Amino acid sequence: MSGYRGDVADALSGSAIFGALYATGPVVRTVLIGPDGSPGLISAPVVEGSVPSIVDLAPAAGWDEREAADLYGVGFNGHSPMRPLVAHGAALEDWTVRVSGHDAYQVAVGPIHAGVIESGHFRFHVVGDRILHLDAQLFYKHRGLQAAAEGRRLREAMALVARTCAACSVTNAIAYADACEQVLALEPPSELRRVRTILVELERVWNHLNDVSAICAGVGMAAGNAAFAALTERARRLNDALTGHRFLRGAVQVGASDLDWDASAVRRAANELDSVRTDAARAWRELAFNASFQDRLAGVGVIDAGRARALGVVGPAARAAGLDRDERCHSGRLSYDGFAPALPERPDGDVRARYEQRALELWQSFDLLGMLLDRPVTASRAEPGPAVRIPGAGPGDETGIGVVEGPRGRTVCILEARDGQVIRLQLRTASFANWPAVAAAAAGSLLPDFPLINKSFELCYACVDR
Amino acid sequence: MFTLLRDLRRLRRQLDLPHRTGSLAIRHCDVGSCNGCEHELTLASGPHYDLSRFGLGMVASPRHADVLLVTGAITSRMSTALRRAYEAMPEPRRVAALGDCALGIGLLGSPDDILGPVELVLPVDLQIPGCPPTPDAIATALFGLLASRPAGQGVTVGRPLGSADEQPTGERRID
Ligand code: SF4
Repeated sequence: MSGYRGDVADALSGSAIFGALYATGPVVRTVLIGPDGSPGLISAPVVEGSVPSIVDLAPAAGWDEREAADLYGVGFNGHSPMRPLVAHGAALEDWTVRVSGHDAYQVAVGPIHAGVIESGHFRFHVVGDRILHLDAQLFYKHRGLQAAAEGRRLREAMALVARTCAACSVTNAIAYADACEQVLALEPPSELRRVRTILVELERVWNHLNDVSAICAGVGMAAGNAAFAALTERARRLNDALTGHRFLRGAVQVGASDLDWDASAVRRAANELDSVRTDAARAWRELAFNASFQDRLAGVGVIDAGRARALGVVGPAARAAGLDRDERCHSGRLSYDGFAPALPERPDGDVRARYEQRALELWQSFDLLGMLLDRPVTASRAEPGPAVRIPGAGPGDETGIGVVEGPRGRTVCILEARDGQVIRLQLRTASFANWPAVAAAAAGSLLPDFPLINKSFELCYACVDR
Repeated sequence: MFTLLRDLRRLRRQLDLPHRTGSLAIRHCDVGSCNGCEHELTLASGPHYDLSRFGLGMVASPRHADVLLVTGAITSRMSTALRRAYEAMPEPRRVAALGDCALGIGLLGSPDDILGPVELVLPVDLQIPGCPPTPDAIATALFGLLASRPAGQGVTVGRPLGSADEQPTGERRID
């Protein structure tokens, strides 16, 4: 193997992991992330409309290649069959896997679901209640946000990134701000790093509380659902008190932070977080001793370490399978000194492990916030620093790559810019990374367990569809 | 478990929610949101606001719904599903547009992918502005809908799906 594929294979057989793949007009670029969290690029020129596929080397690139094929018309030699992902309207047999046999049939669900959920279409291939295979057709909410960013000023495009997804608004915004600041040769001083870390941990807290509530809802455990929904509400009220927005939107800007919290505001926040933590721990204990609830979680929707690695699963779902990767370990542009990931005692990769992982990370986030909120927060600006060169980026290219561990895992934001304008923006969110794992976890499970499996990942559609 | 239920009961008492009468079955439909409106709508049914307590329930099918509650600006891919959901509803039926996107305020995205606000496709009876509206604002707006009657006297119910001219049988009138 030589050239593009050879370079990717070499990097992957070393210590790098697959981070993202995206197309511009004339090139396809693969982002690889080193063990220290530093990203690098390997590019392949599009020749006669196509490039070699790397999906055999990095199965995690499957959706990325399909997206690039649909949105940029690039062919990927060796990726076969190339099923449409973003493009809708294909015949059923062209976008689903063929499943046949005695009594096999399909159950179609969505795009409008039964609950208050985002829109997307699932096609379950089943025999009786047993799911043989699941094809997910998302991108019903494709708003063309990345394309709309092109040509905008860097600071202006932040609005598009922050409104991509409310649940991951801070994560996405920090990843984009990082990428911009790399391009602009700006460095966040410690105060800016601290306030951003506080924001992303607040986002993790409300999301994890929400996820526990959702998992309870997934099995009809009304008391747990209600208890954690009430805690989610309190966390969102705290967000509002601190930043003026319940989803912390607008709090992250490129190169600066206006947030100014005096000693009493910081103390009130820390006290409220303590109180939420106490109540969450109480509710968690109640659920821990509810055997009928716990029985519903164990052994369901398993993604073990091997499959998690192959599929490129990120975040709590990966750690619940025993993979110890957490980008907070090497987030030099945030305040995570001495951070070590919380790892489960039982890394079974099932719904129970993902559920328990949420609690482990919740307690850790409360600890982190307790330390970070020990003094007032003042407005701060990024300072001029050395220009960041991404290995593999072309000589004249201004490229920045932000990598942030959000509530759902690693989000990678790639920015190509010129003269302070966005040329190309690619937001590869943790939800984008993990959706294939939801489908994989569903195979072999019972159809009525799908809501539970789905909730144990609790991915956003908005983050994928963009 | 008893502790948990007791805690929730205490919260309920502290909040001292008012009593109302009447009911509305609501079907939510996301046509291109950022997920923020959904998250707030979910909490509007949570213990702090508890919509169901006022007779405002989320139902699984548009066939059971009085109100279609739409979030997001309509993407080109969701317009058919939205129309179908509306067509599947019995009359009288009402449409509520939830959030600035659904109202066409400050839309972001590519013109090819975003059609525009809900009113472009469906008649909107209730507008709930905000980005996103808080659960409180959502609850308050829906209470308003509960208090008001659908526009027009004597609305046709039980009309079969599709075109009215096909089989205009089984009409009942309510006032
Ligand atoms: S109104 Fe705001 S919160 Fe609601 S979908 Fe639009 S951007 Fe998201």
